[in-house]
Amino acid sequence: MNAHGGDRSLLTRAYAAGLGLYPRAFRDRFGDALEAAVIDRVRAARRSAGASGAALAWANVFIDLALTAAAERGSQVASGARRAAMLAGEVIHPETTPGSRNAMNAFLQDLRYALRGILARPGFSAVIIGTLALGIGANTAIFSVVEGVLLRALPYAQPGGIVHISHKGDFGSVSEGEFVDYRSGTRSLSKLAAFSFAEGNLTGDRDPERLRFARVSEDFFSILGATPVHGRTFSADENRRGGPRVTVISHGLWLRQFGGDSSIVGKTIRVNGGAFTVIGVMPRHFDYPDAEVAAWLPMRLNYDTLWSRNNHYLQLVGRLALGATPGVAATELMGMAKPWPQQFPEIYKPNSPPIVTIEPISDAVLGRTKPYLVALLGAVGFVLVIACVNVANLLLARTESRRRELAIRTALGATRGRIVRQVLTESALYAAGGAALGLPLAWWGWRALISLAPATIPRLDLVSLNVPVLLFTLITASLTGFLFGIVPAFRAARGDAGETLKSAGKTSGQGFGLRRARSALVVAEVALAVVTLTGAGLMPRSLARLQSIDLGIKPEHVLSVQVAATPARYHGEAAVAFYDNLLSRVRAVPGVQAAGAIADLPIADDHSDYSILLDGAPMTSVANAPVATPEQVTPGYFETLGIPIVAGRAFTEDDRASADKVVIVNEAMVRKYWPHTNPIGHTVKMLNEKSAWATVVGVARDVRHGGYLADPPPTTYFPYAQSDQTVYNAPSRMSLVVRGTGDASLLTAPVRAIMHDLDPAVPLARVQSMESLVSASVASRRFSTQLLALFALLAVVLAAIGIYGVVSYSVSQRTFEIGLRMALGAESAAVLKLVLREGIALAFVGLAIGGAVAIVIMGFARSLLVQVSIADPVTLAAVALLLTATAGFASYLPARRAMRLEPTRALRSE
Amino acid sequence: MKRDPASALPVKPVDFLILLALSAGEAHGYALMRDILERSAGTVRLEAGNLYRSIRRLLDEGLLAESGRRPAPDADDERRRYYALTPFGRKVVAAEALRLRTLVRFAEAQRLIGPEAS
Repeated sequence: MNAHGGDRSLLTRAYAAGLGLYPRAFRDRFGDALEAAVIDRVRAARRSAGASGAALAWANVFIDLALTAAAERGSQVASGARRAAMLAGEVIHPETTPGSRNAMNAFLQDLRYALRGILARPGFSAVIIGTLALGIGANTAIFSVVEGVLLRALPYAQPGGIVHISHKGDFGSVSEGEFVDYRSGTRSLSKLAAFSFAEGNLTGDRDPERLRFARVSEDFFSILGATPVHGRTFSADENRRGGPRVTVISHGLWLRQFGGDSSIVGKTIRVNGGAFTVIGVMPRHFDYPDAEVAAWLPMRLNYDTLWSRNNHYLQLVGRLALGATPGVAATELMGMAKPWPQQFPEIYKPNSPPIVTIEPISDAVLGRTKPYLVALLGAVGFVLVIACVNVANLLLARTESRRRELAIRTALGATRGRIVRQVLTESALYAAGGAALGLPLAWWGWRALISLAPATIPRLDLVSLNVPVLLFTLITASLTGFLFGIVPAFRAARGDAGETLKSAGKTSGQGFGLRRARSALVVAEVALAVVTLTGAGLMPRSLARLQSIDLGIKPEHVLSVQVAATPARYHGEAAVAFYDNLLSRVRAVPGVQAAGAIADLPIADDHSDYSILLDGAPMTSVANAPVATPEQVTPGYFETLGIPIVAGRAFTEDDRASADKVVIVNEAMVRKYWPHTNPIGHTVKMLNEKSAWATVVGVARDVRHGGYLADPPPTTYFPYAQSDQTVYNAPSRMSLVVRGTGDASLLTAPVRAIMHDLDPAVPLARVQSMESLVSASVASRRFSTQLLALFALLAVVLAAIGIYGVVSYSVSQRTFEIGLRMALGAESAAVLKLVLREGIALAFVGLAIGGAVAIVIMGFARSLLVQVSIADPVTLAAVALLLTATAGFASYLPARRAMRLEPTRALRSE
Repeated sequence: MKRDPASALPVKPVDFLILLALSAGEAHGYALMRDILERSAGTVRLEAGNLYRSIRRLLDEGLLAESGRRPAPDADDERRRYYALTPFGRKVVAAEALRLRTLVRFAEAQRLIGPEAS
């Protein structure tokens, strides 16, 4: 039950507050019992029909609350009147007393009137209720996602004080020496911890699994304020080098591999052949540093013999001391780093100490998703405003057209209060209808969003339908209804009924102020639609431009599989033989055209720069050393991914461990280090005593390893078979790439079969087509593009409704005038022009204003728009064209009606 | 005050369902809601507000009384209220049932519906 405690208790509280709607006596008598019954009711609904059942139950409960509270108040007034009458000594019979049930009767009468009015204009009512439902539904659904991902507190204790620390510029990460210096010197951070990533193979009873680990230093868990659901985190002893080998596992791994059995604590798991005791299980939503981490290991820094200060591989997380801000802490750490270039001239360039960046953890976790969500939120806001404007507009038109009706009722003796109340009742019914329809829409939209959203959006599983947002939207929409219902009602009630009735024949001159107000509303609506549409138009253009960037690989028909033949299992020659064997068997599969492997797969894996030496030049200092990204590949890799070798040769089976050491470089490397010379025959060496010099034998075309927006870094490709001699060591996992002729996923089964046959204990991971990997890299972008398109569609439809409403109303008001014109010989084409002009003129004003606003607003969304100007003429022209066409169409319907007017009837119409 | 059950007739359909449900013994609000839903084959779903408005009326008319008895305290939400029929309420529900039977017999006599096979 407590899994849903958050939103349930919120709704229960909302219900408890809602009890205030009942008359006091009733509430005092039954309030507690009501609440208890409602809790029982919702609980039962949740048990039998899950979250949707509970949501439906809550909807019913709140509708019931509103209706019965009104009814109970009504009957209280009635019984009060009856009692008063009794006290006065009258003998009464409830059914026959005229005064006794007046209040209730009046209410019911209003309700009947309003219902009749609503049903009498089904089209109009459907549009209003539909508009409200769309506004309420879409708004609630989207905002629920945005709130859940972006705004709700992170699952850490006091997340405001937690900061992520990294270096900017030459060093992305922090080295051990730097971490130790920061930690001992800082005052603005009360605690500071380091972490890095590692991978390993989990083996046991079940299928072997490739795991991602975070190696964390002491204080890591206490900084995040996270406590395990079972067991504990690392003790001081376990954090020390040489201490017992232990691990804390993630909730996901616990469920996946160990069936959620809490007795796992204390048991041993085997990773890369080594035994680790599980000492804790973290809670479900604990996903720091990222959601892929399946287990945490103690880092066990050896403070006596730290790794080279040049080895930047740590990320830091810290907790701010009381009163400190990220800015203060950054300044402090930067001050500490300032003397380092003098102290360690071989590491840092002169006068360029590391630049420290400190950001709140929320930015670090949500950073990449944030702009998309904010853009969506903006679109939601626009659509909500448009919906409200539309409702206002329609209600204004409606009330204006019933001035006569209201005037007659006033003339017949209805009080002003009564008339205002009647109009309000109608608005309330519209709001209730919109809410009743909007609720399921919100629920459905929320489900749809979650299922459509790319998995890269963090904390998606935390998203629940947001009740405060629902209430907010509901109240906003209802208030709009009330406001725009009541203003004309007051006017009608205040106005001189006789005047209205007398002037009824000259409607075309009537309500000029009101008409202007309605025109202004339509202009606003069109302008908002322009903004939404411009955003929606720019995003797909930007996406298309982005996807037209050449990645440097041909991902079609290529399957990729991560294979982890770890050093513990396969070493040296054995590992080379394993991959040779695997590749030759895969190549023999019918339909396979080429196969190869690489340590860090483009798009999917991280790639880091390492210092290198060139052409036998001795090392001067790390600071001055050239850098390149090392890759380890097997023969066949370039061919499989369609990467052309532009000079020299590709690797062959002959480039084995015992052969001459060779390397292939990319064009970026050539441009940077050997411009205007033939690079073949030059030599490269990793900055490491152990590494051998390798001779450049070929040049490969550039590949955008980091995705569409990442420039290809200078890259060195070493043969896998030589990698423990030329790079630091052989990689512990390789990504197999296999090129077929058709659907890449058809290759999955044969590859799995071969792997199982070779060694069932080697885990396969990330079995995916190269195309889907590439497509997933722009998933967030695509998702928000699609959503925005949806919103834009909504905005255009609503704007069309608005224009139609205004023009249509204006035509009905000008029936007499149009009839007169036609009687005087105006042709129907002239009438058409007259009517169309009105609608299109409104659209033009809206377009001009909206265009200007759009350009300003898109400036804020710049980070989402690549390769496309915010004032993209094609998009703006398309938006203008679309909206003008919409306005034309929305005006054409009433114009056609006007054209078909028979002049004689039109003239008699009033 | 001795009252004639006939003075309370006819009983509103919802009230009748509540009285019928309670004729089997006392119950709390949600139990009544569930009982009525089941007995009406899913056609009458009373929400809490509606139910308690009826209960308020029935209490005021003396057909129901709040029951002092409660089940074991730890098995129960203490805010729940239990209600039982008063002797008068029991007479009224019976009188209403008789009244309805008379009406049903009438409908049968008119060949509107066949007599129920027994």
